Amino acid sequence: MKFKAFLTESGVGLLERRFLPALDKMGKVCHLLLTRDHAIFLHNLLNGDGVQSIAQFCKEALFDDYRISSQNEDKIAFVIDVSLLHRAVRSSVSICSEFGGGGAPTDRLQIKLVKKLSPNCTQPMPFLTFETKGYKSAVIQDVPISKPLSRAQLLELQAALNMAQDLPQTLVQVPNLNQLQNFVDRMKHVGDLLNVSISKYGDLHLQISTTLITLGAEFRKMLVIGDKAQEPLEDQNLSAQTRSQRAILRGDALSVQVSVRHFSKSLQCHLAKPDCTFYGIAPQGVCLTVIFQFFIPGTRQTDKSISLHCRLPVLDP
Amino acid sequence: MSSPAADLVFQVDNVQGMVDALSAVRWKRHQDAVLELSEHGVVLIVEETGCLQAKVYLQKELFIKYEYNAEVRPRFGVSLGLLVDCLNTFSVPGHPTVVEITYPGPDMELLLKSVDSADSCIYAEIRTRIPETVSWDYNFEPAGTKPHSFTVKSAALKEAIDDLEWPGSSIQIILKPVPPSVTFRGEGHGDLQIDFLYYANTDLLTAFHCDQQVSYRYKYKFLRATTSNIPSSVIKDNRGSKLSIGRGGMLKVQHLVSVARPSPSHIDSAGYQQPCRIAYIEFFVKPEEDDATNG
Repeated sequence: MKFKAFLTESGVGLLERRFLPALDKMGKVCHLLLTRDHAIFLHNLLNGDGVQSIAQFCKEALFDDYRISSQNEDKIAFVIDVSLLHRAVRSSVSICSEFGGGGAPTDRLQIKLVKKLSPNCTQPMPFLTFETKGYKSAVIQDVPISKPLSRAQLLELQAALNMAQDLPQTLVQVPNLNQLQNFVDRMKHVGDLLNVSISKYGDLHLQISTTLITLGAEFRKMLVIGDKAQEPLEDQNLSAQTRSQRAILRGDALSVQVSVRHFSKSLQCHLAKPDCTFYGIAPQGVCLTVIFQFFIPGTRQTDKSISLHCRLPVLDP
Repeated sequence: MSSPAADLVFQVDNVQGMVDALSAVRWKRHQDAVLELSEHGVVLIVEETGCLQAKVYLQKELFIKYEYNAEVRPRFGVSLGLLVDCLNTFSVPGHPTVVEITYPGPDMELLLKSVDSADSCIYAEIRTRIPETVSWDYNFEPAGTKPHSFTVKSAALKEAIDDLEWPGSSIQIILKPVPPSVTFRGEGHGDLQIDFLYYANTDLLTAFHCDQQVSYRYKYKFLRATTSNIPSSVIKDNRGSKLSIGRGGMLKVQHLVSVARPSPSHIDSAGYQQPCRIAYIEFFVKPEEDDATNG
């Protein structure tokens, strides 16, 4: 089992300033799955009830000179502490910028899987090692990781990942993520359970309802991807609640109940600076899916080499 | 949907100002409040164990629309915490929102709805309840012809009361005509005395009226409630708070909170913000009864 690669400058930028801060908010630890072509960060895929997040990078988006081999079809996966990984990448960046003032292209950040005997241990432990070569010095940082997943565990993780790829039939584009986050953060004080309904007309309706208060927000006429429909004229002047109930009855909308905490957590992905955000409800209402899209810098074309999406578990009403 | 039969429909254009004003009387997590609606405005009242009462006066001039249709003044109870948290949800920084509030809804709820955008809308329905009767009468009467009173910078008042936390328990307030001064004195885990001398600190103590020495003791936790949640805007605007002691030692603490919209569009032709956009906040604190003649 071998893994060795060099992080590119843009790869370091993506991880250090965008994805690792976002993934750190999703949970302390995650699985890192490395394949021949991809590096995938996975949160909560095997342990049921949290927000699942899946951040997938083509190897070219992060690395060059990427070498991987293992007996499991060249796949390696392990559990890693996101904040430790973030710290290692961040300090490598500062070392590079300190020593490599001339911007020599040789200042490269190598990352590899190693087993080392650490003090107070009789067994060698696995680490992800970051090696930064400066002009006259080299700095090595070891990030502790779990034992690599066994073949059976890897198959289980791969199966969970395949399961998590189903797309909602209707996706609506939320234009202002900051505004939504602001609203949901304040809503948290009022209740714990959030009803979310999404219609083919491009309406997103959020509602918290307790015995003392009903608090909701409706965002209308958003861009729809997938199944869409024209809103009936007679629905235009109704209250938000009535409108979404009628759309559900008509089969033009789906509704699920999720935890407000989970919803707010999924919005933390804006730290990864996505260019578009879509919300949708998976078929049969099995989960609420949030898909983030990234553009190729300087264009409005989707960067297919990076993808990030979250799945929020649905609570039984 | 505001039906024409609603007792009151009003619109707020400075949600944050209203949140500030209502938060000023929020001294613990769960508090029941009573709202009284009238042709003059909205009054919110909170009370604690018959020793402390606070009122927030929101005059109708604070609102951009105020349609009052009731014949008998409506009165109902709500949870203060829920009302503040809910209003806070409507307040989006950097994005002024107009909220329309209607009472009663079909099930006697308080209805709130943002009205400024066609494509997004926030709404809320807050359950109300039949209010309990006011447990005691907070009629504030002057001891002589005029109540003993002084006006002090709100920031200085808050700082003094915060400092008195250390001796704690019971705080004595003494007003002396010669030399005109106010003393806060705490005795408990230690002694602490804070003096405001009228002639020495004219910028802190801006007004003073007292013709004979008075002295009463108040529970620290009630005094603290009067300043614990003073909105930061009050301190920033360098406002003063007025304290008066009436018959039997009843203490009245008054604060002024700005509910003006901070945008330039609301500066009127004379070039200054309308002075009437102020919410009045009053606390009434009963003194500790340390002799049998009181009450």
